[in-house]
Amino acid sequence: MSAYQYDHQTIKGFIISSVFWGVVGIIIGLWISIQMWQPSWNVAPYFTFGRLRVVHTNILGFGFGVGAIFGLNYYISMRLTKRPLLFPKLARFHLYLFNTAIALAAVSLFAGMNQSLEYAELEWPLDIGIVVLWIIFAVNLFGTIIKRKEEQMYISLWYIIATVIAVAVLYIVNNLSVPAGLFKSYSLFAGINSANVQWWYGHNVIGFIFSTPILAMFYYFLPKSTGLPIYSHRLSIISLWSLVFAYLWTGAHHLVYTPLPDWIQTLAIVFTIFLIAPSWGSVVNGFYTVAPDWSKMRTNYLTKFFIFAITFYGLQTVQGPTQGLRVVSQLIHYTDWVPGHVHMGTMGWVTMTVCASIYYVIPRIYKTEIYSVKVANSHFYLVLIGQLIFSVSMWITGIQQGALWKAVTPEGTLKYTFMETLVKNYPFWQMRTVGGLIFAAGMLFFVYNIAMTIRSGNAISGPASKGVR
Amino acid sequence: MAGDIYKKPVMFAIVSTAVILIGTAVTMFIPMMTAQMHPRIEALKPFTPLQLAGRDIYQREGCNNCHTQTVRPLRTEVMRYGEYSKAGEFAYDRPFLWGSKRTGPDLARIGKKYPDAWHYRHFENPRKFFQESNMPAYGWLKENNLDPGDVKGHMDVLGFSYSEEEISLLQERNELDALVAYVQVIGTSIPRRRAVRTQGKTTTAEIKNPLAGNQAAIIAGRDLFEENCSDCHGEDAEGDIGPSLIDDVFLYVEGDLADDDYFELINNGTEEGHVEEGRTMKGGMPAFVGDMSREEMWSVISYIRYLKNKQEGKNRDG
Amino acid sequence: MTDDLDNIEDFEAKETAGKLPIGWLILFWGLIIWGVYYFIAYTPGISGWSQAKAYEESVRK
Repeated sequence: MSAYQYDHQTIKGFIISSVFWGVVGIIIGLWISIQMWQPSWNVAPYFTFGRLRVVHTNILGFGFGVGAIFGLNYYISMRLTKRPLLFPKLARFHLYLFNTAIALAAVSLFAGMNQSLEYAELEWPLDIGIVVLWIIFAVNLFGTIIKRKEEQMYISLWYIIATVIAVAVLYIVNNLSVPAGLFKSYSLFAGINSANVQWWYGHNVIGFIFSTPILAMFYYFLPKSTGLPIYSHRLSIISLWSLVFAYLWTGAHHLVYTPLPDWIQTLAIVFTIFLIAPSWGSVVNGFYTVAPDWSKMRTNYLTKFFIFAITFYGLQTVQGPTQGLRVVSQLIHYTDWVPGHVHMGTMGWVTMTVCASIYYVIPRIYKTEIYSVKVANSHFYLVLIGQLIFSVSMWITGIQQGALWKAVTPEGTLKYTFMETLVKNYPFWQMRTVGGLIFAAGMLFFVYNIAMTIRSGNAISGPASKGVR
Repeated sequence: MAGDIYKKPVMFAIVSTAVILIGTAVTMFIPMMTAQMHPRIEALKPFTPLQLAGRDIYQREGCNNCHTQTVRPLRTEVMRYGEYSKAGEFAYDRPFLWGSKRTGPDLARIGKKYPDAWHYRHFENPRKFFQESNMPAYGWLKENNLDPGDVKGHMDVLGFSYSEEEISLLQERNELDALVAYVQVIGTSIPRRRAVRTQGKTTTAEIKNPLAGNQAAIIAGRDLFEENCSDCHGEDAEGDIGPSLIDDVFLYVEGDLADDDYFELINNGTEEGHVEEGRTMKGGMPAFVGDMSREEMWSVISYIRYLKNKQEGKNRDG
Repeated sequence: MTDDLDNIEDFEAKETAGKLPIGWLILFWGLIIWGVYYFIAYTPGISGWSQAKAYEESVRK
């Protein structure tokens, strides 16, 4: 054993918090999926769709997603720098502040304090808290990396550094506002300019929370769990730089056919389509890494999580850019196609990678084996099926709705009223709830598996191992 | 050597910051400094205190999660919602509320499309008008009074002008009043109907109702009437939110309307201040050009004429 | 099951470290070329195309 003392307590805390927020977010997700076809499930004022939807996105994006990113990126960084975190107490404070912020975020959104900026809904006092959180993360991370004991920085560290910088810039700029009381503010930006700033943020915060830090996990945990080395160093370099460069140009693909100047839209579409290349750089690298030994898909339960996850990432990063094209946007923008797209990314790529990484980390922290590979396999198949039902039903109804909106009669009038197009969604929205339930059941298998693993770990090492270890 | 950057975290951080800022500058920061990102059309007015209070509630309730506020320049979209959105319409929106999903219809041209009374009733129970609607009810907003002090503070932050009288009047208004006031001003700085009016104009062949007195058309017209018209004009067209259709007053003036004018009224709706056959409209009737075919509109007219004759018969006999 | 140190050497393959699959390279350059075309074709200041003009045309049809 070495003299290195990794700060596992904080990492445990982040992982458990993340899983907790994940469960809460999924329950709210199921609830709002029912509200879509059963309006009596709206309970005014706190539990209407308009308020719950943002609780769902914030809890899952920032509670589950960012919680896992904090914990797992700390874990990865310590391993790759071969040293404990530079400021372990600050990391502990970071954990407490994180949970406080997410809880307050949920409460404030239930209460209707909402800036109406997608994925930046939180009002200004919480924004300040989140900036502080992020600065703590950045300080600890950069400190640890600068004081590292391994000269070469591995790919995962590049992605983590890029994430820390990009999110900071994005979050601060988009949330600039003038307070009007403690719970209300008005954006510094107005009209089409505010739209441009918001989607520059909105698209990139997805990119730098649901792509780059998750790729950091992928590049680290794939070789660790399979024992297979990453195929091409050069491919990962080109992918990183072209991804980080191109991403920031693309926000306006959310604003195709709006009054935003045409040239900004066109430029966004160009870079959006280009993004297929760097994204697929990682996909190709992942496939080629496992290619020498495909039997791992059967023999190593984590391999299939990672390979399916990167496959969904690959599908996501073709589908997403395609949606930016004017001719496609015309048809599917504003329809249920888009939630279908988003959930393939979040349920397929992000959640699978995060869960597999947690499966890898938890037994190692608790010095035990995973409780049950069988349960993990059930988890895998349930979330896979649940997510596919969800996404496919949304794509079908999205295309259908887009087509009905455009349908005209031979005499040149619209063929369907809005209501007629809405009711055709109902069977698909019900199907989505079914898919969500299956996915949620899969996640319960995951939670159970992790809980039992932690229990057996505690039983082995006993209470004596508590403390900074 | 270029490979050194992967050994120098500070250098790596600086280079990646620079790389991130290039796209940011070209598509966001630089345009922001130019006039093209800050247009404002002449007719656009800042929000009144009541409208702003309503907009705050629209944000609080997350209406933008299900409703967009931008009409795209696409043929069928303009037919459905009205004139496509212009850059200068949103100058006072901090932030913009375009949304990203249409679970419900776009609201960019909702202002003045329906009368206030329609909105009150619809907010209280959306399923009264649209049986299969999935919109939550918002009648509970009536229970909450506005806080004039708050609204005043918000007006000051935004630098919108107001009179003390407007503020003190808020005392008697509730949140639903405010929300309706906001909804009624959305997208009204541009004439909503321009595009709609050019669609489906009656041809010279149809100055008279081609389906007048047609039995099948009357029956079809009854169903259409119940579906589209009775919520505002009453079960038997006796009038409710909208005027009676079986009396002899049309557009506030005594005397029947010719078939083609009637058709145009249903087709295009009414617009405040617009003059048709010497009668000045007050607005509030939505255009049905997107919702009903030409034949369906003529059927509705046949049915209404039938109802009116029946009523006149009753009056004579009684 | 110990806190063994990672050996960073094991993370990346040596013999394929510099490889770029040809299919991926075609994709990479192909998208850049397409991007140049699309930018020229759909930027009002260059090609004269605009959203508003495209709409007017679709209505005239």
